[in-house]
Amino acid sequence: MKRAAYILLTNPLSIIGLLLVGTVFFCAAFAGLVAPYPEHAGAVINFAFANKPPSADYLLGTDVVGRDILSRIIYAYRIALGMGLVVLLIAPPVGVAVGLIAGYLGGRTDFILMRITDIFLSIPPLVLALAIMGVLEPTLLNAMLAVTAMWWPWYARLVYNITRGEKVEGYVLAAEVIGASRTHIMFREILPNCIPAIVTKMTLDFGFVILIASSLSFLGLGVQAPTPDLGSMVSEGTRYLPDSWWMTVFPGLAIVVAVFGFNLIGDALRDVLEPD
Amino acid sequence: MTIFRRLLLRLGTSLIVLVGVSMLIFCIARVIPGDPARIALGPRATTEQVEQMREALHLNEPLVVQYGLFMRDLARGDLGISLYSKRPVMTDLAEYLPATLELVLLAGLMMVVFGLPLGALSARYRGRWPDHLIRVFSLLTVSAPAFVWAVGLVLVFAYFLPLFPITGRIADTLNIPHLTGFMLIDTLAAGRIDGFISALHHMILPAFALALSGIGQASRLTRSNMISTYEHPSIEMAQAYGFSEARIAQRYAFRPSLIPSLTIIGLDFAALLGNAFLVEIIFAWPGLSRYGVGVILQKDLNAIVGTVLIISATFLIANIIVDFLVSVINPRIRLSENGK
Amino acid sequence: MTLTTRTTVLGSTVLGLLLATAPASAERILRADEVAVGEIDPAKGTDYADTVLAINLYDTLVYPKQGGAGVQPHLATDWTIDGASYTFNLRDDVKFNSGNALTAADVAYTFERMMAMGQGNSSLFAGVVDSVEATGDHTVVFTLSKPFAPFLATLIRMPIVDMATVKANEKDGDWASTWMSQNSAGSGPYMITSHDPQTETVLSYEADYFIEPVENFPETVRFRYGLEPATVRALMGRGEHDISSQWLPPEVYAGLAQDGASLVTEAGLTGEYFKLNTQRAPLDDVHCRRALAYAFDYATMAQLTQINDNTSTSKPMTGAIPQGLTGYDASLPVFQQDMALAKEELGKCQYDPADHPLDVVFIAETPARERGALMMQAIYSTLGFKVDITRTPWALLTEQVTAPATAPHVVEIAISAASPDTDSLLYAMYHSSQPPTWISSSYYKNADLDALLDKGRVESDPDARQALYADANAILADTVPDIYAYELLSPFAVRDGVTYHNLADPARTYPVSGFNMRFADISVSE
Repeated sequence: MKRAAYILLTNPLSIIGLLLVGTVFFCAAFAGLVAPYPEHAGAVINFAFANKPPSADYLLGTDVVGRDILSRIIYAYRIALGMGLVVLLIAPPVGVAVGLIAGYLGGRTDFILMRITDIFLSIPPLVLALAIMGVLEPTLLNAMLAVTAMWWPWYARLVYNITRGEKVEGYVLAAEVIGASRTHIMFREILPNCIPAIVTKMTLDFGFVILIASSLSFLGLGVQAPTPDLGSMVSEGTRYLPDSWWMTVFPGLAIVVAVFGFNLIGDALRDVLEPD
Repeated sequence: MTIFRRLLLRLGTSLIVLVGVSMLIFCIARVIPGDPARIALGPRATTEQVEQMREALHLNEPLVVQYGLFMRDLARGDLGISLYSKRPVMTDLAEYLPATLELVLLAGLMMVVFGLPLGALSARYRGRWPDHLIRVFSLLTVSAPAFVWAVGLVLVFAYFLPLFPITGRIADTLNIPHLTGFMLIDTLAAGRIDGFISALHHMILPAFALALSGIGQASRLTRSNMISTYEHPSIEMAQAYGFSEARIAQRYAFRPSLIPSLTIIGLDFAALLGNAFLVEIIFAWPGLSRYGVGVILQKDLNAIVGTVLIISATFLIANIIVDFLVSVINPRIRLSENGK
Repeated sequence: MTLTTRTTVLGSTVLGLLLATAPASAERILRADEVAVGEIDPAKGTDYADTVLAINLYDTLVYPKQGGAGVQPHLATDWTIDGASYTFNLRDDVKFNSGNALTAADVAYTFERMMAMGQGNSSLFAGVVDSVEATGDHTVVFTLSKPFAPFLATLIRMPIVDMATVKANEKDGDWASTWMSQNSAGSGPYMITSHDPQTETVLSYEADYFIEPVENFPETVRFRYGLEPATVRALMGRGEHDISSQWLPPEVYAGLAQDGASLVTEAGLTGEYFKLNTQRAPLDDVHCRRALAYAFDYATMAQLTQINDNTSTSKPMTGAIPQGLTGYDASLPVFQQDMALAKEELGKCQYDPADHPLDVVFIAETPARERGALMMQAIYSTLGFKVDITRTPWALLTEQVTAPATAPHVVEIAISAASPDTDSLLYAMYHSSQPPTWISSSYYKNADLDALLDKGRVESDPDARQALYADANAILADTVPDIYAYELLSPFAVRDGVTYHNLADPARTYPVSGFNMRFADISVSE
């Protein structure tokens, strides 16, 4: 663990990653202090200042109703990070449980559980989320649900593959011989061996959750209107291209910055935790 | 023989999965809010007309009966009428799938053509500046959603520097007879080189926007695969023999790392098909994805089910093909996989 | 077989090379666009794109009156009305694109087909017409089930199809519905070359149309669907697009105008209504509704819909009825914000605004409407209402509005008259017999108004109808089932070198939304 921290803190790329992610988290946590116009995160109209290009007053310009884009981006990070946290709190445990059970028990359970997983995996993720969002009202919570529904199978697959390998290892066989319960073997013996892979995947996934969530709201199936959201800001902005390019370009860059940060850390973490 | 059996087995499980997909999506589509008959007929339709259409669409039957009727029609190759385009769903799919596939295939090609060499270059110069540059580039490409790339490319190469067309599949003035729906093939079949060039010109920007994150992914994978093969005894041996760096890279490191990369590219097909949803919207590309978003918003039940089924089937078939190719090229992969 | 294929390939190669080297053809092309998918079967279509296609591919017995209100003769030269029986004399010089002569039998068949299919505009005739009979080659009699004064105007929604062609392409009793969604069987000035409902429809001019086209009319029309505003902006800049849709944001029209496009607007009997849910507290109290209407910031709304100094997409309203319809009164004062009156009315309202948050919905597919919603939120908060704004996808909204008890308090929506008769607008919106849909989503119940609207359906004297609908208008203005935000003037950007005569010259304008875009009335120079 110390080694991991050391490598993360000496690798220039992961330092950049930590800085980016740190900034994003800081902005989200202290949005009220950081944002130049915190009230612009809500339903504010300021038509006199609508469609203004970047200036000293509005560093990243204003949108069609005259709200400061920088302030809205800062508040949008709250939504994006919240989304990532919630999805990664729900999806991995579900997937891990399915993967462990299917992998360890084998037989019919394996067949049924993994075919269900396959069904979810064989619908392109975005299409599945889109179909689910079509059913539900477009709220943040439902968007989280939709993304979670498409995320757990990947963890199921990952843990399943590891479990199938570990199942025949000596320590598992030994535990079986002394009569340990199945639950004990699955969650106490095998699970710890899956942790490094799961943690790496979760770090990498944080960025991807933000990415998918922004894609959903880009298609109009995300967060409610006055609440700022990066994907819907881009999609709204594309209507005013090329004249008012700042409405699209900056929210788009904001997505890249956050996801890039997470990917830099995830990459470095993978080198440390899974050295081969 | 074993390959053949394996193929059959894969086809069998894929079929089961497809039936599962159809059930899942069928249920999802039925609970989407909104009365499809009312949406299709508009607000001025009388209550009787709406009821008549609900009856005709079997919307008043229990879900199980509806599913049974759906499967019966599907067996006859009939997916029903789309309420969105008011045509048979099969007609729509046949028209829009080729446009999407053509885009996705070109993007896939770009992934291989750009991604693999970049990864190889990166591995060969491991730890030096070309490696850092390529790694950062690769990571950047996977850090932005496809629609951000699409918007960026359009902005730069179509609006500010009008080098590429903004929309459409081919120049308006060209009338190419419809044959396969793949514009590149149709133009060649019609012997229209100008048409082929025009179609390619129209495709480059959207395909590249779609391919970018895949290029990054492919390059990253090739790099890490090559680095692990670089540590392989055969390479150390070759280095001991004093073979040139280029020859080692090409022959001993690149080729073996090709196979796992190919497998991943097959899996990335899903991502490409999904991302096509985003890219097609920006370019007004007349494909399946644009159709898919339209039918979901219109609660067009038949078309939703049809679209998702065809996308899933395409994805499963692509995976089987990749799997098959890989096991033909290198039987050891199959063995090691079985061994696990 | 192989030989023929090869010769064809060879032939087309040679042709291809010839075409490739030839300079751009001298053919006059018009490129226009619409947001929605296009429907070319006149028995199925209803919205703007469908209307434009229908009037160019088909003809109707009557047409909206050019430069005025009501209808004028089109396929029918004249008609007599005898209570519930309408007898039309048809032109005898009209031929379908197939070459068949258009006769009274085609009219009867068109009606039969439309009603049997039960889609599109058939609802306008459902329960109205008893029978249609061809009494001569060029005489057709419509017998109504009861007198229905708006009937004549409604006929603009019945494009006549070629019976012989349709029947020849029928399959398993489908009324040729599959064939008709790929081909046209009309008498109109244009024919279908190709049609893809989500990409574009290509039409070509058919010579010998019974009305002369204007000079430099387009020989080919490409009617495109679903283009992004930015795409239209760029295409027009490159000279690759001629007439924009009406759905662009104001900023984009302003940009296009700056780059040399001209802007025209179409007043298509369309109002922009903020529908108030009269079945749900606090808006079931008329005083609360009046408070909202008085507080509404009409001036800002006008400013928001202003494209530039010369062009606005809105006209202030004086009541529920847009200009050009019976019952409209230009002499009435336009609505204006009055906060003092708003507060006074709020004082009379039985509800405390603090206990009743309002949920305001705008349609996700029309994001520009968020501005109106935000404006309401800002103003109504000064009255003490908490306003929750929701961006709702269209399909979801159509479901929500079917349940008045839970439907949103306010929905912002544009509603057009289906025919140049006030009845087609007011009856659908406000008559208590209407099923709950987005058009009727104020769920208004008022016996006095019902009586007036019912009378309007049987009264045929124009002056009496004017008085009836003026009374209806007064009731609606007083009881506020909706906030009458503005009358929509749909804007179109027209490329320099193209003239959209029907909208550029008020004397040539047809009063109904969509009926102006007769492609053969548009001049396209190089």
